[in-house]
Amino acid sequence: MNGYTGKILRINLTTRVVSSLNTADYEQWGGGHGIGSAVFWDLVPDKTISGFDPANVVTIMTSPLTGTMSVAAGARTEIQGIGVQSYPFEWFTRSGLGGRFGSMLKFAGWDGIAIEGKADSPVWVDIRDGEVQIKDAGTLWGLDTRQTQENIWQEVGGKYGYGSWVTVGPSEALQRSTQRPAVLCIGPAGENLCRVASLIHDAGNGAGQGGFGGVWGSKNLKAVSVIGTGNIPVADPKALIEARLWAIENFISPLDEFDASKSVFATMPSNLRSFPAPLVTWKRSEQSRPQSCTGCQAGCRSRFDTALGNESSCKESYYYTPSWLVKDYVPSSDGPDPQALAADLAQKYGINVAEPETGILYLRDLNKLGVLGPGKQIDCDLPFDKLGHVEFIERLLEMIAYRQGIGDDMAEGFYRAAARWGRLDEDQKTGLLNNCYWGLTMHYDPRGSLEWGYGTILGDRDINEHGFCPLYMIPTMTAKNPPLSAEDFVQLFSERMPPFQDDPLMLDYSDGNMYSEHICKLVAWHRHYGRFWIQSALFCDFQYPDFFNWAAQGYKGITGEGEPKFFNAVTGKNLSFAEGIEIGRKIWNLDHAIWTLQGRHRNDVKFADYIYDIPNEVKFTMPVNNNGQWEYAAVGGRKVDRAQFEEFKTRYYELEGWDPETGWPKRSTLEDLGLGNVADELDSKGRLGKE
Amino acid sequence: MGDKTNKNVINKAGMTCSRRDFLKASGILVIGVGFGGCTIIDPVPASKGYLLVDTKKCQGCLTCMLACSLVHEGFESLSLARIQVVQNPFQGFPADINIAQCRQCVEPACVAVCPVKALHVDRWHGNVRTVNTRKCIGCKACIAACPFPPGRPIWNFQENHSQKCDLCASSGFWNEKGGPGGKQACVSVCPMKAIQFTDQIPVQTGTEGYNVNLRDESWGLLGYTTE
Repeated sequence: MNGYTGKILRINLTTRVVSSLNTADYEQWGGGHGIGSAVFWDLVPDKTISGFDPANVVTIMTSPLTGTMSVAAGARTEIQGIGVQSYPFEWFTRSGLGGRFGSMLKFAGWDGIAIEGKADSPVWVDIRDGEVQIKDAGTLWGLDTRQTQENIWQEVGGKYGYGSWVTVGPSEALQRSTQRPAVLCIGPAGENLCRVASLIHDAGNGAGQGGFGGVWGSKNLKAVSVIGTGNIPVADPKALIEARLWAIENFISPLDEFDASKSVFATMPSNLRSFPAPLVTWKRSEQSRPQSCTGCQAGCRSRFDTALGNESSCKESYYYTPSWLVKDYVPSSDGPDPQALAADLAQKYGINVAEPETGILYLRDLNKLGVLGPGKQIDCDLPFDKLGHVEFIERLLEMIAYRQGIGDDMAEGFYRAAARWGRLDEDQKTGLLNNCYWGLTMHYDPRGSLEWGYGTILGDRDINEHGFCPLYMIPTMTAKNPPLSAEDFVQLFSERMPPFQDDPLMLDYSDGNMYSEHICKLVAWHRHYGRFWIQSALFCDFQYPDFFNWAAQGYKGITGEGEPKFFNAVTGKNLSFAEGIEIGRKIWNLDHAIWTLQGRHRNDVKFADYIYDIPNEVKFTMPVNNNGQWEYAAVGGRKVDRAQFEEFKTRYYELEGWDPETGWPKRSTLEDLGLGNVADELDSKGRLGKE
Repeated sequence: MGDKTNKNVINKAGMTCSRRDFLKASGILVIGVGFGGCTIIDPVPASKGYLLVDTKKCQGCLTCMLACSLVHEGFESLSLARIQVVQNPFQGFPADINIAQCRQCVEPACVAVCPVKALHVDRWHGNVRTVNTRKCIGCKACIAACPFPPGRPIWNFQENHSQKCDLCASSGFWNEKGGPGGKQACVSVCPMKAIQFTDQIPVQTGTEGYNVNLRDESWGLLGYTTE
């Protein structure tokens, strides 16, 4: 398949043997996540093992589009394996990152990496085109992620350093690059097997969900470095550059049309970005630049004159927002910005900020209750009088990364920490511990953002797929003057949701519709689209699906037309948008089969108690269908009904062709998808759904 | 922008001295031969096109490099791209990014040093300095001669010849007329409009003539410096 180089690197850390898999053997999966799941299926016979088991396999997959100039699809890398973060099961899960790691891997001639086993001492992997060496990491162990990368750059670059051409391989061949190696590594948090540890690349690209930093730590794997000088084949180069220019012409506003009054929309997730408006919430110096991943048209991160917080954005930038934490916060008169420092430290330690984002609020509230703090029942030396300032976040992250004091509990994630502290049941009932699905922190609320919450609990992790955020954000932010009528707005989405395009009611989030068969279709579509176009073809989640687009004719974004246009130009295939979604359904079924083998039953699929018992506070203005008429109305301020959510699950399982009694896949469904071997495996383990 | 008649002599360190001053001092004319640390270059017509960049506006996406290799080679490659963006993610702005585009020098050392005139001035395409890859013997003299690191002539290690920016005059994988007077892929795709074509000769000494300010008022509205 064009777009791919043909080989997946296979590294056994136990035996220190390096080999390869043929990418073509996995071509049916399209790329990225699909291939990662299939490789995992093949290489891990016992899916019930812990993520810390040496037999766990971590896959790092690119897509055919990685390293190409496909709009917002040239940089993503998909990470999979059994994670260590979720509870009560350590689900087979995924994470991902941008930057330049995936593209550099392909320029080195590798479409992905499968890492298995455990080294008997710390190692790092040095990839220089086709040459792969497993090297001693004794001098790297203990370093933070920046120090690790800079040390590796120095070793790979040699005495000539960077700034000019560096020879890769034999000097006489003059295979050269001006680029620094792309390094994916762990910091102290990963070394100390934290379940909240990330994989970090460059200054601000992180794969946080799943705790793969801790998984690498358990394998004694400090880093993977890659520098490549090769080519990525493109089936139709002319079609690819024409597609890029078509996207610029039709879906991206010229820079000089930036209107400060609409700046809030420029940072909104899931619309093809026209402007380099980074989602950085601390006061950004104008002595900075936008910064983007390989091939992306709009930098959503920054680099700063101080270099503090370089490339951090979104959650990293706001997880330690002082004004959220402390009423009447008074900033310090000197020293670094606490938010920028917090972002920078999390990247260096390699900590997934989703955990401290809600975890810090939890700590604050426990301190206010008088149960956590110096000399309290949960004894710690956190300086709560410095909450919102640099001293607090410095101490907290240090405690987590090095498992100091109650940091040993927090390194397990705040859900497990609450269990250790004897507070889990009580704080899940009240919502004081805001972890609502699989023990993970709430991102979007299941009581309001149905596709997000339901998709997460039916899956393995916070989905972090923003495709329908514009459905509630655009009307909320334009409440006085919405750009389209509610009916036209809904149609903009539903008409590009095959095979359910004839059912706009799937976008009605109103109280009376929130458990319906229509919402089942919404959740199913989102899972299937995401599994292929976002996580396998690796279009950036922050820009796709692009349903609503301010720059486009009639606000009709690039989605539906854009994804296959780029995919086919690169691969030479003739895949339709709907066919991609159908491959996504197949991948979703394979993932669901793995979770079933890991032990999932429909009875496990439930939210934390507070989601059912306490109404949420947030209301969005969004389209609802009232007796056949579409209108904008406030949605939210509600809870999920236990019995009706169980009925929803039954409808959803039936829609997917799974056994509603257990939630397990049926043989007929799997065989229809060409997954007969998966059905056989489930059958042999007694976990095949009834027909 | 500089004087189209400006003629300079380039020494090994990339410094310049005026041709008139040099000839006055030496009293001889040496064409294309090293002499006392300087190389006098055979006068050639100036290129009718140049690429200017704004390194403060660049976002480091490397799209220019991907476009360059795509339209010239038909595949994606960073190493064979004729424009190079070098960056350090841990460095502070603006030192974190450098852009190395070919300067289409008024007095091109790469042209002067080529023993077989493979690297030549293409009079059919606006005097752009380019490589006739069929004539290239692979001596790599042009690569060594470029005084601006990272060197702008690229060694194509897959086909064993040098190549360099031709302002897309020979972009065989793009349905656009390139070269001076045509379109350049890197200019067309740069999301930040941080690369610009000009037919005016930039100041040849130093980098200021080629690294310019392309930031306007809208850039300031986005919260970035326009100075």
